[in-house]
Amino acid sequence: MPMRLRWVRGRTEGDGPDDPDRTREWVGCDDAGEAIVRVVCVSGPIRVGWRLRHAVARDEEARVVELRPPVDRERRWLIVVGGRVVGRAALPLQAVRGAEAALGGG
Amino acid sequence: MARTPLEKIRNIGITAHIDAGKTTTTERILYYTGKSHKLGEVHDGTTTTDYMDQERERGITITSAAVTAEWKGHRINIIDTPGHIDFNIEVNRSLRVLDGAIFIIEGVAGVQPQSETNWRLADRYNVPRIIYINKLDRTGSDFFRAAATLTEKLGINWVALQIPIGAEDTLKGVVDLVTMKALVWEGDELGAKFHEAEIPDDLKEKAAEYRQKLLDTALAVDDAAMEEYFDKGDVSVETLKRCIKKGTISGEFRPVVCGSSFKNKGVQPLLDAVIDYLPSPVDIEGIKVAPEEGQDEDSDRRVIEVSEDGPFAGLAFKIINDKYGNLTFVRVYRGVLRTGDQVLNTTKGHKERIGRMFQMHADKREEIKEVYAGDIAAFVGLKDTGTGDTLADPADPVVLERMAFPVPVIDISVEPKTKDAIEKMTIGLQKLAGEDPSLRLRTDQETGQTILSGMGELHLEIVIDRLKREYGVDANVGAPQVAYRETITRPHTEVYTHKKQTGGSGQFAEVKIIFEPLERNAGIIFENQVVGGAVPKEYIPAVEKGIRVQADTGVLAGFPTVDFKATLVDGKYHDVDSSALAFEIAAKACFREGMKKAGPVILEPIMDVEVTTPQDHVGDVVGDLNRRRGVIQSQDMAGTSVIVRAHVPLKEMFGYISNLRGMTKGRASFSMQFHHYDPVPRQIADEIMAKSA
Ligand SMILES: Nc1nc2c(ncn2[C@@H]2O[C@H](COP(=O)(O)OP(=O)(O)OP(=O)(O)O)[C@@H](O)[C@H]2O)c(=O)[nH]1
Ligand SMILES: [Mg+2]
Repeated sequence: MPMRLRWVRGRTEGDGPDDPDRTREWVGCDDAGEAIVRVVCVSGPIRVGWRLRHAVARDEEARVVELRPPVDRERRWLIVVGGRVVGRAALPLQAVRGAEAALGGG
Repeated sequence: MARTPLEKIRNIGITAHIDAGKTTTTERILYYTGKSHKLGEVHDGTTTTDYMDQERERGITITSAAVTAEWKGHRINIIDTPGHIDFNIEVNRSLRVLDGAIFIIEGVAGVQPQSETNWRLADRYNVPRIIYINKLDRTGSDFFRAAATLTEKLGINWVALQIPIGAEDTLKGVVDLVTMKALVWEGDELGAKFHEAEIPDDLKEKAAEYRQKLLDTALAVDDAAMEEYFDKGDVSVETLKRCIKKGTISGEFRPVVCGSSFKNKGVQPLLDAVIDYLPSPVDIEGIKVAPEEGQDEDSDRRVIEVSEDGPFAGLAFKIINDKYGNLTFVRVYRGVLRTGDQVLNTTKGHKERIGRMFQMHADKREEIKEVYAGDIAAFVGLKDTGTGDTLADPADPVVLERMAFPVPVIDISVEPKTKDAIEKMTIGLQKLAGEDPSLRLRTDQETGQTILSGMGELHLEIVIDRLKREYGVDANVGAPQVAYRETITRPHTEVYTHKKQTGGSGQFAEVKIIFEPLERNAGIIFENQVVGGAVPKEYIPAVEKGIRVQADTGVLAGFPTVDFKATLVDGKYHDVDSSALAFEIAAKACFREGMKKAGPVILEPIMDVEVTTPQDHVGDVVGDLNRRRGVIQSQDMAGTSVIVRAHVPLKEMFGYISNLRGMTKGRASFSMQFHHYDPVPRQIADEIMAKSA
């Protein structure tokens, strides 16, 4: 049985000055309100200083981390439990379902 | 007529591959929106938007008619566009002024070569699209397979809003995945009613699967909708529609609906989708102003937002000469225009008075007294406003972004069957060329022949046919020829003195002109750098005219000379013997002499050719293209076929279709369009010159 969680907005980010902020992270909380899983959208390629980063995401402390190897562009949403990537998906709702299934099954 | 608020206007186009059913769908739309009471059928030759005689006979759409329809309190201005590549200009200019489009693909073949070209065109103008998979009543049609070609051939992110109930001759209706209801038609006939029903049992699972896909895709564009979903495990119809509209406009995904226009199924929900998901004029960014001289295409430019407030600004996007006279179709972007107003044609720099204005309902028309931002109207009797020109209030004389026009690559010579019809023919051809920027008309200075250049054989054939029907001129035409061009490869300065003594007054003019090559597509630039009145100001236009007229007949083989600059730097005149005519003659002769010494070359059109062939014939196809001086660009697998793309000189493509059929036993198809002009190889240049001599 998949585990049903309560999902709340995590960090938001815009793509540029004209782009309104969009949620790039959804946080899944248990009944006690404890965050136990995050689904995070990977951005990139982006230029950081003089280097091109192919795929970056924010970790739990909101630091930008570069992912290696870069995820494929078709599946930009990562399912992250305790700092580990346990799955990926093309769309946020698919990632959310993936997260609930992973937690329920394991 | 009551005014429609901006949010309730939709300006849409219908575009597709040839024969996908655009005209049929438009006809159904007109029927169901109540404007056209008797329904036309394409094969009967009675449709409303295909109003030219040729269209009715041939059953294809040549020009696009702008028609207005009302649906559930909204006004929908629809432009039906032709699918054949020869009439691409129509698609091009329509997309330019529309806010959204219905993109039709066929249920049997899915995405076809021309759908791909038109799709890319729509991409270029960022036009939001709804995809309509038509002809699901046909044997061999398959919604899911046709939809899969959207991924394979266009590489797009699509999402189904409906799935069909039944298939082929048992097609009954569609499941609406937004409301999760079945829509079932009670017959095939025109005006057949439909009702809502429970989703049939055998489709429940499939419908649930596709609804989940829809939610996954659509909700991702809207955080509040995601939260609603997390809260309730589903979202309201209203929320879902909001998300679909948002994603459709941003282009994040492309919604897909389906039906059979011919069997009258799916048309009403298609109309609902148009008003629910395609943008109104205020939902999208306005129109950019044209780049200023020297500014490049990508630079930041002012955007004119669509609004009824502010000085008037509109774009003329189509001109039709019909039995009522000259009609100019204008898309209004800002302000209000009333009969009697005066506006500036900011592209050409002269004033125009607004006479009568009409809203077009196919070939019927309704007179209106004012037209507001966001709408489309046809103006009668504008003096000199061409396709792509901006009309604006002198208070803010903006020039709106221009349209890109395709290059005509096929020439034919035309002459009237009877000598006395020559003037009538010239007037007729001039009018036709005025309507159609992809049609060009010139006179060969040496032979005096009238040469028409167009997009393809079909295009020119239709022009000749219209010349006969609309202007009563029967013409003989020569065999289609490649539209070669000439240009120069190095600068050269030439001095020419024209002197003639005939009885009383003589003729005298001397010009010194620098001829320089320009980059491809730059056209002809004339500059006057004369100082101190060596050539009096009043004669400068005559020099320019001489150059431009003579440039139509190049020095090598008589083809138009393009992509060069002529700078008049010096000259001499005579108080008594000089005249405008003398300077024009001098300029022409100076061109003829000078260009010969400026490294002239002949240019030929190179086509972008795409052949779709079964795998076992790839070798033959590629070898054959190589023999035609083709340069292969790519070979890609698509299902069990291979798509070969190559750049091939147009000259080598005459008669290609029968050759390809023979080589592949009729299993391959191809399409081509103009790509660029290149100098011809030496040997071929010699052939061309020998022929013209
Ligand atoms: N079976 C079937 N035939 C259709 C359907 N829609 C259109 N047709 C037929 O397909 C043919 C082409 O339809 P048109 O509407 O003229 O197609 P079009 O896209 O406007 O074609 P062009 O303007 O020439 O590009 C006609 O014979 C129509 O009757 C449909 O839903 N089912
Ligand atoms: Mg048509």
